[in-house]
Amino acid sequence: MTRDTACCFAADLGGTKLAAAMADAHGRIVAELTEPTDPRGGAYVAEQIAACADKLARAAGIEVTRPRHVMVGVPGAIDPRTGRVSQIPNIAGFEEFDVLGYLRGRFGPDVSIENDVNLAMLGEQAFGCASGCHNAAFLALGTGAGLGLLINDKLFRGASGAAGEIADLPFARDPTSQNQSTFELEVGSLAIVDRYRRQGGSGAVTVRDIFRLLEQGDEVAASVLDTTARWVALAVVTLQSLLDLELIVFGGSIGVRPELYERVRLVLPALFSRPITIAPSRLGDRAGLIGAAWAAAQALRQNPERA
Amino acid sequence: MPSPQMASVTRQLSRRSVFEALLHRSPISRADLAKVTGLSKQTMSEVIDAFEQQGLVHRVGRTSGNVGRTAVLYELSAEGGHVLGIDLGARRLTVALADIAGRVLAEADEPTDSRGGAWVLDQIARLSDRLARENHTHPSRIRSIVLATPGVVNPKSGAIEMAPNITGLGHLNVVGLLGEKLGSPVVFENDINLALLGEIWHGCAQNVANVAFLALGSGVGLGLYVNGQLVRGENGAAGEIGYLPIGGDPLQAESRLQGCLEYQVGAAGVVRRYREAGGSDVDSARQVFERAQTGDSSAMNVVDETARLIGLAAATVIATVDPQLLVLGGSVGARPDFADKVARALLQLAPRQVEIRTSALGTRAGVVGALSVALRRLHDEFFGVAELAATLPLPPPRAA
Repeated sequence: MTRDTACCFAADLGGTKLAAAMADAHGRIVAELTEPTDPRGGAYVAEQIAACADKLARAAGIEVTRPRHVMVGVPGAIDPRTGRVSQIPNIAGFEEFDVLGYLRGRFGPDVSIENDVNLAMLGEQAFGCASGCHNAAFLALGTGAGLGLLINDKLFRGASGAAGEIADLPFARDPTSQNQSTFELEVGSLAIVDRYRRQGGSGAVTVRDIFRLLEQGDEVAASVLDTTARWVALAVVTLQSLLDLELIVFGGSIGVRPELYERVRLVLPALFSRPITIAPSRLGDRAGLIGAAWAAAQALRQNPERA
Repeated sequence: MPSPQMASVTRQLSRRSVFEALLHRSPISRADLAKVTGLSKQTMSEVIDAFEQQGLVHRVGRTSGNVGRTAVLYELSAEGGHVLGIDLGARRLTVALADIAGRVLAEADEPTDSRGGAWVLDQIARLSDRLARENHTHPSRIRSIVLATPGVVNPKSGAIEMAPNITGLGHLNVVGLLGEKLGSPVVFENDINLALLGEIWHGCAQNVANVAFLALGSGVGLGLYVNGQLVRGENGAAGEIGYLPIGGDPLQAESRLQGCLEYQVGAAGVVRRYREAGGSDVDSARQVFERAQTGDSSAMNVVDETARLIGLAAATVIATVDPQLLVLGGSVGARPDFADKVARALLQLAPRQVEIRTSALGTRAGVVGALSVALRRLHDEFFGVAELAATLPLPPPRAA
């Protein structure tokens, strides 16, 4: 491996794990690693990201003191004017910390940070199930809920970088009542486990447990997933009415489960008169990292004097 | 020596930049045009002479007050070409005429022919013709026509889909038939998208890059403008928020057909809910709103609930697309008392606060937006350069 085949550094930062990769000028990953996210958060996590670049370079036996582009996906909203990260509950101390400033100090000016689900959307467009799409969404369902939007062939970030923060999507518990809830309060992993308990189920501490119990024929698990799928379907109908998408990609640890998305698919025709296409992520939990690598290579292309 | 093709592109670019300067700075002298465009005096003379021969510009006087020789001032001539904007609503039909410089010359409106279908197409042709003749414009000088219509235009068949408020248009090839009647190709755009473009050109959303326009009148709809582009969606159906699962049971047959939200907040829904609440003797949503203002408690409840549902729809838009500005429009949405209620509901419902304005153009927004698109198309036809993707910026609002 030479400097040229590993000119981009990409990272996908999650609440529990950090994935990082070196990629070539076409955005193809040539080396990658995953490690637990430093729980101390803030500057420690930023240092950890930078250290991954060194580790990858050393493991590959090349000296990469300065990748030509660095793209880091973070689970939060990024203000397009200031580069500051907000709405990032899963990484401690990241709202106060100038992560972009730190990484630029370390790698030079060619560093971008981007919402992780936005990068997953790009990953699916470049190498996954959304290939050839111009208007699509990546719906990430796991601990929380996030959305990456591709509109008119471009990422859609919104005026303050908060487009797709659908965790806050307002939902009425009962459509005729004024008792308001939000999307994340109904489909976040805590909500699903809580629903299982409230319906009298036992033996599930995580959503993964509920999927396991479902396989064993647990009726409460089936009912909980039916309810969850109905909420997800309402969010899908919401997206389709607002944005008229070609495809909604389901990702995240819960979103990729066929037990969930097949249920959503079944409910949709009763809720919406036109067809809606949904598909599970093809890249799975690597979608964000693959998208980050691809986006880094794209940024290189737009900056040919540095390439 | 440049290739002939190269020279031709250079000439196109020169003409385009002179036209752009005239569009934004008329009246202006040749010397100032040369300064603004950076073109040589000789090139400028060639372009201006050609424009004068084509009837695109005329002389309007001479500079004064400067030391030395005075200079001839030019401006774009109304004879350079005209555009027509048409806003076809369920209740009103509005037509407006503008010249190539973007001056709005005349507007006329009348109630939409309730018989629908072909009758409406005849009505459009008649009103357009009258407007042109009253302004001494031969219909053949109208070079670009844009029609604002509710619903979605099927890009393949030319038919209007999802426009339940106008009868009998669904099966007609409206694009083709209207083009024949008016003698010039007609381009369609969703009325709410055009109302949004109207607000961006002449109204309350000038110079804002990310705008959501939420309209409530006979029906409910949303226009989205992001980084200088309308969001149309894959099949032109973006912003059809009547189908949002808000306000009722989304599994009900009415919700699926008419749209869950529209079934509640559309004009028919407002009247229906008022009757269900014990109110009687109304045949329009307007009457329900009037009664709410005179203290009729059933009417007040219906209006408050309508505002809450629109607030929920707006909160959904804010959570999903994060606009910089939310414009409330439409015959109901733009009412200041109603907009206040929506803004108050949003304080509770929205994930973050966004600036809210009511439509500055009101019922004119659609037709002004139609003119803006017609104008861009005319400018592109005359001065589009294939090598440049960007269209010419529209001139600022000005009186005719």
